[in-house]
Amino acid sequence: MGPVYRLTLRQLSGRWRLAIMTVLSSMPVIIAVLMLRSDDAPSVWEFESAILSAMLAGSIAPLVVLAIAAAAMGNEVEDRTLANLTLSPIPRWKIAVPKLLAVITLAAPFMAVSAFLTSWVAFIGDVQASIAVTVSAVVGVALYAAAFVWLGLVSTQAIGIGLLYIVLWEGFFSGFVSGVRLLSIRHYAIALMHAMDPRRFAPVEHPNVTVALVLVTIVFGGFLLMSVRRLRRMDVP
Amino acid sequence: MTAGTQSFRAAGEESQSTRQGDLSTGTTPIPRVVRNDSAVIRVDGVSRWFGSVVAVSDVTFDIMPGITGLLGPNGAGKTTLLRMMTGLATTSRGTVTVFGEPVRDNPPLYKRIGVMSEHETVYGFMKGREFVEMMGRLRGVRDLAGAVDKAIALVDLADAQYRPMDTYSRGMRQRMRLAATLVHEPDLLILDEPLNGADPRQRVHFKRLLQQLASEGKTIVLSSHILEEVEQLADTVLLIVNGKLAASGGFRAIRAALNQRPYHVRVICDAPRRLAAEVVKLPSVDAVNMDPDGAIVVLSRNVQDLQIELPRLAQSARISLRRVEPLDDSLESVFGYLVEQ
Repeated sequence: MGPVYRLTLRQLSGRWRLAIMTVLSSMPVIIAVLMLRSDDAPSVWEFESAILSAMLAGSIAPLVVLAIAAAAMGNEVEDRTLANLTLSPIPRWKIAVPKLLAVITLAAPFMAVSAFLTSWVAFIGDVQASIAVTVSAVVGVALYAAAFVWLGLVSTQAIGIGLLYIVLWEGFFSGFVSGVRLLSIRHYAIALMHAMDPRRFAPVEHPNVTVALVLVTIVFGGFLLMSVRRLRRMDVP
Repeated sequence: MTAGTQSFRAAGEESQSTRQGDLSTGTTPIPRVVRNDSAVIRVDGVSRWFGSVVAVSDVTFDIMPGITGLLGPNGAGKTTLLRMMTGLATTSRGTVTVFGEPVRDNPPLYKRIGVMSEHETVYGFMKGREFVEMMGRLRGVRDLAGAVDKAIALVDLADAQYRPMDTYSRGMRQRMRLAATLVHEPDLLILDEPLNGADPRQRVHFKRLLQQLASEGKTIVLSSHILEEVEQLADTVLLIVNGKLAASGGFRAIRAALNQRPYHVRVICDAPRRLAAEVVKLPSVDAVNMDPDGAIVVLSRNVQDLQIELPRLAQSARISLRRVEPLDDSLESVFGYLVEQ
């Protein structure tokens, strides 16, 4: 797995890509500071809804992950270098897993720092709340990564489709259609955050933490398996 | 049909034989192909279509050790066929086996196969040596440093191995890709248009290298639309035209098989007008033209008879033949003829 992991890290560590990720991940921190400095500072509920849920989990995290996850496989398909890997005597999961790990390795630190600083500023140094927000952000990163790595394999329009998914599904429908939350990575992350710090965040009913944990496992494993299956069955350009 | 032997058959002839077999025996059709148990690659009734477009149509052949050239014009289906032979693409119908195993979804088989596609599948940010090392690691090479040194030396790029590949010329990238293809010392090499971008010196080096590898017992399949390349390199030729196997076998064997094809033979002698008047009477000759420079060009559909009749005629007419040369004894002309058919 080592060569594929190292190769993917190098492929995705372009200067522009890292710059975009830095700008995106710093936005929640900046906006949190600006919100708290204004005269009408938001309540915890308002802060969670606007910054943690809608912005961090529903927009910034998926955008940061999309910027690199879609390229992890998508660029290899586009420039036809995927054949270098698939023509090697290694099982397909040894291509998909290191690719996914490399995406998480790159995206998770950005989002973890962003989530920790945002909640640290908002909750005035509350460690438990900051850790809850950080861990749920990293889980969100892992899930988005699994989904977008697969998307990069099945479509040459992964960025466009990913943006539509982020805006329409995670941003719009999951916000007011309760059934959609069962299929929303953003809401899995929020459910975990609530479970890790019930003191700061009121428990959520839909989905509850148990359902969320099960769905997190299914979504992560499901997309990973679909990526492996796709690698086995696709015509590699 | 068994490529890799000196047997040959044009595609039209093959189907004719099959029909004749059906008619003559009444019950047992003559086998459509003659198979060889020691075939390295076996392509059996393979077709591939994309929607309504048929890229490869019912192709069957075996490939034996040595160099086999896959020849055809651009768009003939060579690359699609090679991709199915490497397992990169699936077949719509038929099977491809390599070393007796299905090649599709069979990663362990790639320990014995080296594939170089026609596209420049390199990572520009890597140094040449890093690329070969990575490919060696992926293929489980044990003495990696030694294997990388050897592969890079084979393609004569030791001086440039520590340069990023995006600073290489196209020919250098091709050679470094070949080094990466050779690093695990595969038994079978499949090379799609390997000489693209190579300058004349690199071409000579490349050809020598392939001949050396073939002499070591490797099986090499290379595709090209440049006829001289295949003619100079390949022991066996597979001619692909419009997605079908038009002919296979040795170049000269294929050439002779196409005995319906008109040949142009240029004759220089001391009495061209007199010779022309006599030659046109030969049953093997269809037409005779006079060139402005005094040579005559004979058109024949039976060059074997012409080879016998022409010297006899010249001798009996006391005409001295100075030079007799075929004008179209190249793959180009064979190829053009087959494409027209």
